[in-house]
Amino acid sequence: MSDRERRDFTKQTLKWGGALTLIAAFNPARLVFGAGPGGPPGKAPGGAPGGAAGGPPAGMGNPLKMMQENQFLQRDDLDDALKSMYMTYDSSRPYPHKFNDVISKGQLECLEFIVSKGLEKEYVEHYVTTMKPILQRIKQQVAKEGPDKALYGMFEGTTCSYQLMERIDVKQGERSFPCPYGPALERCKQWLPERFVMKWEEVCNKMCIPTWQGFANEMEVKITITPGETCVVKLA
Amino acid sequence: MDTNTAAVLKDVNGSENNGEAISRRNFAKKLLGVSALSSLGISLIPEAALAWLDGSFAQRDDLADAVKVLVKTYSDTKPYPHKFNDGLVKMHLRNLDFAVRKGIWKERAEHYVWTLGVVVDRHIKKGIEMFGKDAFLWGNFERTSCSYQLYERIEIKDGERCVPCPFKPILDQIQKGMGTYQITWEDVHNKWCIPVWSGFAANAGVKVEVEPGEICRIKVV
Repeated sequence: MSDRERRDFTKQTLKWGGALTLIAAFNPARLVFGAGPGGPPGKAPGGAPGGAAGGPPAGMGNPLKMMQENQFLQRDDLDDALKSMYMTYDSSRPYPHKFNDVISKGQLECLEFIVSKGLEKEYVEHYVTTMKPILQRIKQQVAKEGPDKALYGMFEGTTCSYQLMERIDVKQGERSFPCPYGPALERCKQWLPERFVMKWEEVCNKMCIPTWQGFANEMEVKITITPGETCVVKLA
Repeated sequence: MDTNTAAVLKDVNGSENNGEAISRRNFAKKLLGVSALSSLGISLIPEAALAWLDGSFAQRDDLADAVKVLVKTYSDTKPYPHKFNDGLVKMHLRNLDFAVRKGIWKERAEHYVWTLGVVVDRHIKKGIEMFGKDAFLWGNFERTSCSYQLYERIEIKDGERCVPCPFKPILDQIQKGMGTYQITWEDVHNKWCIPVWSGFAANAGVKVEVEPGEICRIKVV
């Protein structure tokens, strides 16, 4: 082998060796599973469900431990949930059913009754009062972690919201979501004629706004609410 | 399998027991005839045949939101394992607690029955006329999102449905975690479930017997 060939060989070796080192360092599998059992933990962007908010899930770094500690993967009742979801989304007429179909319609039916009795203020007060122990707990978190925790507690942190709203757009100090009640009220009026006289604005003004304001008062934060097809709740 | 098909299969089994041979052609002929009649019957109930399990699942473009909520729900295991019906059950319990405190639980149940009476008149009464009393349970349980989004599963027998009570575990959790509700589990049976089902049954011209419990049993009599 001539000197020139040796030089080329060394050059090529260094080039491909460097490339392999880079690939190994940024290997997607390594990022997900970490360096393997006993190695340093890897870090997944955003964290998986069941992990601490915003951080990597428990057991990160050890694939087996990660699976064992993933709350979702440990559930043994997913078949019932999937069947309910399938039945819901396989029913598209007279309108496409969604997972929040019954909770939104049921809430509207009750509110219609409450408004017809003129009890909406007491109804909202009851909701806020019965939630006080939880609101007090969130208030303590607000004191430690800041007022965004109040929005977390009212929206993406509770099934009462994330099972009601189809999606929740989370921004610092702001949450927005498609209003589940507007479309549901239209359908109720269409398919259950003469049963609903309440207007959409009444849902906003007699339930959503006073309830969220009541929650915010309990947690000692201030919020502004802009109702609409996409409802926006902001820290004031 | 619908009841008519089951009856045909029962006939077939009966024939075998009697030592009578039934040809494949006769069986297929009978089965097709019954299926056609069943389809015709269902299609005569306005919109009923259209609205339920219509094969649209694969065409839906909003499954991502549903799957995300499902994963979020079932990853939420503290302080207890949450289920798909959690928010709905809490809404019912909260509304009942308010109605009981105000002494208006009876009117509240009547309002619910009156509101959904449209559906009973439109679909269920006709279903009962065509298929018998079991159609009442079909319309109130496995056929409606009001039930299959509320009950984790529904066990179907002719003239009877069994469901795990969704209210007890969550009411227990609420009382343990907050202790702010006045209603008891018995109130849920006696001031909500039983009056509502009995009200629907009266509208439809049938009677039901309810045995409440961790597994609740509803029979049409």
